[in-house]
Amino acid sequence: METLYIGEHLGPGQLGHFFAILSFVAALFSAFSYFRSANTENTDPQGSASWLTLGRNGFVVHSAAVMGVFFTLYYIITNHLFEYHYAWKHSDLSLSSKYLLSCFWEGQEGSFLLWSFWHSVLGMVVMFTAKKMESRVMAVIALVQVALATMLLGFYLGPDINIGSSPFILLRDKMVGAPIFSQPNYMEFIKDGNGLNILLQNYWMVIHPPVLFLGFSATLIPFAYTIAAIWKNDYKEWIKPTWIWSLFAGAVLGTGIMMGGAWAYESLTFGGYWAWDPVENASLVPWLTLIAALHTLIVFKVTGRAYIMTAIMFILTYGLIWYSTFLTRTGVLGDTSVHSFTGEGQSLYWHLLIVILVLIGISKALLIARWKSLPRVKSEEQVSSREFWMFIGSFVLLLSAVQIIISTSIPVWAPLAKWISGKEIAPPVDPVAHYNSIQVWVAIVIALLSAAVLYLKFKTSDTRLFWKRITIVAAISTVLTLIIGFTQKISMAQYAVLLFACSFTIVATINYAISIQKGKLMKLGASVSHLGFGLSLMGILLSSYNKEVISYNTTGVIIPYGEDKMENIRESMQNVILYKNITVPMGEYDVTYLGDSISANDPRTFYKVYYERRDSVTGKVVESFTLYPDAFVNPKGQEGGMSANPDSKHYLTKDVFTYVTSVIDPSKREDTNTYKKHVMQIGDTVFVNRGYVIFRGFSTSVDNPHYTPEPGDIAVTAQLTLKSLGGDSMRVAPVYYIRNNFENYIEDTVADKRTYVRLSKILPEQNGAELMIRQPDEDYVVMKAILFPYINVLWLGIIVMVIGFFLSMANRITKKEKK
Amino acid sequence: MKKSHIVLLVLVAAAVTIIVSMFGDFSTYETFASAAQDQGKQYHVIGELAKGKSMEYDPLKDPNHFSFYVQDKSGQVSQVVFKGAKPTDIEKSEQIVMTGYMRGDVFHCNKIQMKCPSKYENDQVAVANQG
Repeated sequence: METLYIGEHLGPGQLGHFFAILSFVAALFSAFSYFRSANTENTDPQGSASWLTLGRNGFVVHSAAVMGVFFTLYYIITNHLFEYHYAWKHSDLSLSSKYLLSCFWEGQEGSFLLWSFWHSVLGMVVMFTAKKMESRVMAVIALVQVALATMLLGFYLGPDINIGSSPFILLRDKMVGAPIFSQPNYMEFIKDGNGLNILLQNYWMVIHPPVLFLGFSATLIPFAYTIAAIWKNDYKEWIKPTWIWSLFAGAVLGTGIMMGGAWAYESLTFGGYWAWDPVENASLVPWLTLIAALHTLIVFKVTGRAYIMTAIMFILTYGLIWYSTFLTRTGVLGDTSVHSFTGEGQSLYWHLLIVILVLIGISKALLIARWKSLPRVKSEEQVSSREFWMFIGSFVLLLSAVQIIISTSIPVWAPLAKWISGKEIAPPVDPVAHYNSIQVWVAIVIALLSAAVLYLKFKTSDTRLFWKRITIVAAISTVLTLIIGFTQKISMAQYAVLLFACSFTIVATINYAISIQKGKLMKLGASVSHLGFGLSLMGILLSSYNKEVISYNTTGVIIPYGEDKMENIRESMQNVILYKNITVPMGEYDVTYLGDSISANDPRTFYKVYYERRDSVTGKVVESFTLYPDAFVNPKGQEGGMSANPDSKHYLTKDVFTYVTSVIDPSKREDTNTYKKHVMQIGDTVFVNRGYVIFRGFSTSVDNPHYTPEPGDIAVTAQLTLKSLGGDSMRVAPVYYIRNNFENYIEDTVADKRTYVRLSKILPEQNGAELMIRQPDEDYVVMKAILFPYINVLWLGIIVMVIGFFLSMANRITKKEKK
Repeated sequence: MKKSHIVLLVLVAAAVTIIVSMFGDFSTYETFASAAQDQGKQYHVIGELAKGKSMEYDPLKDPNHFSFYVQDKSGQVSQVVFKGAKPTDIEKSEQIVMTGYMRGDVFHCNKIQMKCPSKYENDQVAVANQG
């Protein structure tokens, strides 16, 4: 018998599921109609026009249905309908409203929905602007939407086989057999959801995923135009829209990637904006191939060359977008990624694989079918031509993408390698060094090319004029390189070369924009975006080359831990302990932890850390500021856990980046206020709060005001030295005596009355003693602080580059094509 | 032959050389026993927290020293020393991937990556002591 459940709201889910199916059917209908329209274009113009209308209507219905799914899911999340698995898993009652949208991108279904949403928005724009190419371009877009809609269908063909997964599945259907669902009133027990991952509760996470997904979606349009052009066998009309759309995609995807970097910088504690993490690489690689394709497209437009390379790279870019979803969503990365997501089961794995194979298969079949008629130029290009070097640059970008994707895909091809060689290949031990060592050369080549090509002309250039201008630029950039190189102490050869390369780009692009282009704004797209590229590289170089951990233990005490005293002490002491109200020097700052604070409407604990910088001569305080790194302590369901967020002090020329790596567990705070037993031999050292104690030996000459000798006493003192982290050395001499067969102790304490020591037992056979040490309740945090110099140059560079993209776009849109 | 073809051939040759040489960078997954054969060489070891063994992290003593025991895939238990703060939630981890080297019987690691049976989507936490 069916159980009748009480308190469920089944309506929204059914409505949402209906919309999901409608979006699939409408996309299929639209794709088919557009396809018919394209195929009957020449034979039956009237029929073609009616198919076109049907295709448009289908796409409008599809887009409306996607919005329907979106708003239904939003309704479920905002109304906290926890009978739905999605709401239960990704949200809770305490979630503040600004993060409600973030629930969408935490889950797989929501991400696909967001993707589908952007596709339909962009599809609408294409529908109104594509003109003669509409039927073909939209057929491709609608076909991709069919594929995406299947991801949300949620048809279950068996326990482990399903087509897509619906965001509207009920909790009780997801967890079949859980005992709670045998009660009809189970909803009364499900009061709250699991909540959003605390890492996503950050403002960057509100804007980064939508922008990134818009960038992903935007790469569909150049792909669709490319396919449409091959299909139609017309290679002229597609250039302008493809150019504009790839500029748009390049700008948005680039922004999205760097917003991810900004998020990582501000809320992840790996201490940087880029870690060559597989998830980051997976979105960077399509951007690289997109930029390569954009440049060969320009070559094709001006000279008619490089068509095949352009087409292949637009197809490859879109294939890589799906491949990056495959990498990040199926769990295939497994152990290698910081933010790899859990595997969503075998179904998604095969589903995505099929979509990728279909997309690549269709493209390949079309290219082969049209191979003979694809545009080619027989003659040879001049070495002094702009197109020659643009093509080389694009090819280098492609090779760079190949290297990154091979290394990132290790978990994908490792089983094959194991089968061949028997070895289980793992990612490089130090991935950052691995990628940097190769990509620094790519960066150098690209930086030099991106500057130099501006001074070349298409077809053929005046080489003497070129070398004259380049020599001047090179001379200025050499001076700039020397100045920066010496002040920033950049000594490693490859980074010095990179420094020259980005100085060269910066000088060359500024010079080109001013003296050759005369600052005509609409024409500045290329020089501005190349300038931005040079600035970004410069920012990356300066901030990471001189990144400095300042939270070393600089108290002058080298803590002798373990037998590996000499082993890389510097590396291993990046965390420093800060006791409340005790000042510790860090770099040029004096740092004091002033205590923690919590507020009622924020689940985080804030740690107040005060920084002070003194003039080295006068000792006067030059500046001071307070940072509030915070952490979720004991987040829901993770007792004893902690998730820290950094806080930074931003200067124009550097950032001081601070985060807490460990705190005293509030629930265990009292424990420190008891005696701790230490068994020590003569010469031993034990660590105590804010210092350590050395046991130097026993003495029978007891000199303690609280001790009055009596005949028959056996009295002994332990001679101890307490060294504080501040460098002070204090003598402690607790007394132990036996009087009338009873043990007696006289505790000793140091001047500030913070540390009490009792000699509780003498162990003659070990030549040692048992000491009880009591210290008062101490509040502390363990913290790490990093100095990032000139990180603002990077952010500025990115902004300049994106402005350059949009300038080019505006220029393309407003420019009338010569017929 | 076109000049551009020659340049492309040179680039492809350079790329192939780089890619072949980069295979030397790749690490391998080992067990404690196999990692111990080449002392001091960095490897990846996968394992899980050894049950019933103690964990030691006392920031008061040294905030950069965390010691624990891991059972690798072959079942061998070894002490692991991580030079950094104790990763939160390591007790709840299902699987631990460590990067480091053997010295004697102790595995010294500089990177810990954990997989938790978490309800969260982003269920991996990586900790590295390099800044």
